[in-house]
Amino acid sequence: MSVINYAAKAINFKVVYYGPGVAGKTANLQYVHKSLPDANKGNMISLATGDDRTLFFDFLPVSAVTVRGFETKFQLYTVPGQVYYNMTRKLVLRGVDGVVFVADSQYDRLKENVESLRNLEENLKEYEYDIDKMPWVLQYNKRDLPNVAPRDYMEFLLNRRPRRVPSFEAVALEGKGVYETLNTVSRMILMSEFGVEQEVRT
Amino acid sequence: MSVHDVAIHEVDAAKIDALLTRFLDDSSATAALLIDRSGQPLTTVGPSRSLDTVSIAALAAGAFSSTGALARLLGETEFSVLFHQGAKENMHVSTVDEQAIMLVIFNDQTTVGMVRLFAKEASRAIGEILAEARKRPRKTGGLAAPISADELGPSFPNKRA
Repeated sequence: MSVINYAAKAINFKVVYYGPGVAGKTANLQYVHKSLPDANKGNMISLATGDDRTLFFDFLPVSAVTVRGFETKFQLYTVPGQVYYNMTRKLVLRGVDGVVFVADSQYDRLKENVESLRNLEENLKEYEYDIDKMPWVLQYNKRDLPNVAPRDYMEFLLNRRPRRVPSFEAVALEGKGVYETLNTVSRMILMSEFGVEQEVRT
Repeated sequence: MSVHDVAIHEVDAAKIDALLTRFLDDSSATAALLIDRSGQPLTTVGPSRSLDTVSIAALAAGAFSSTGALARLLGETEFSVLFHQGAKENMHVSTVDEQAIMLVIFNDQTTVGMVRLFAKEASRAIGEILAEARKRPRKTGGLAAPISADELGPSFPNKRA
């Protein structure tokens, strides 16, 4: 949920990186944290288990472009991907403005992607958000691995809803596709909040 | 835009700051933060040293929401107060309304009882201001007219190569 603060001249948005376990959600945030200048980022917080799996969420606040004199700030969150952490995933989605769905491109992980996307849709509904009406993008991660499904097949599995969303191939660990994804979702959020109606739908 | 979206106009910010400042005077606490339940800091008053309020807000909202989930497992609607005791610094988090929580940092200059008493009073008054704020138009001044796609460049132009 966006917060416009006229006193501080800032607009805050919340972006959640969603997807199955070990798909690379945390890797996306780590790369953004590594590559942004200090002035544009805050501290990254990871609430992880001993073996580096996200337990509650990762959090990274970043500041982006100034729009009409207001600084735009995006708070990036990840959720735990493991199926049994659904309660905490739901909590992190509260007040979300946009979602990056990070899919694992490997053949043997395709089923988990589909289940996780369905889970996202269900959890959003609990907050009365409709996935087909909110800004979200798809990221097909781990494209450097040998056993990945073709992009078209990923599209067929994950991107054939009434409204197709932008999708990006990525190797998040190396930063490939990370900013294309983030720039697109943040622009979609800004347009959905401040744009004219026709542009929201395109 | 969702029904939960918030705008804090200058007039509301000034009123909330005045209330929180008075709360700090009354309770002898060190700092007070008003936080949206999604994790966004709304306003901060009185940190005597530089606090990472953005991280504090995200973590406190997370802790408060997971405590709320625990409460529901026990058949409660929520636990309306959360108290963390440290060796020197303590934290008191309490409900303002359905959208916001208030976090107070205090040390041995005061007691949890004092903080709780005055926080309850301040929360009620802040809740009323927030209810008024939600009735105002969200976009005024420079933000009133729609933004065209051409106006927006890349959101993060200055990342390192």
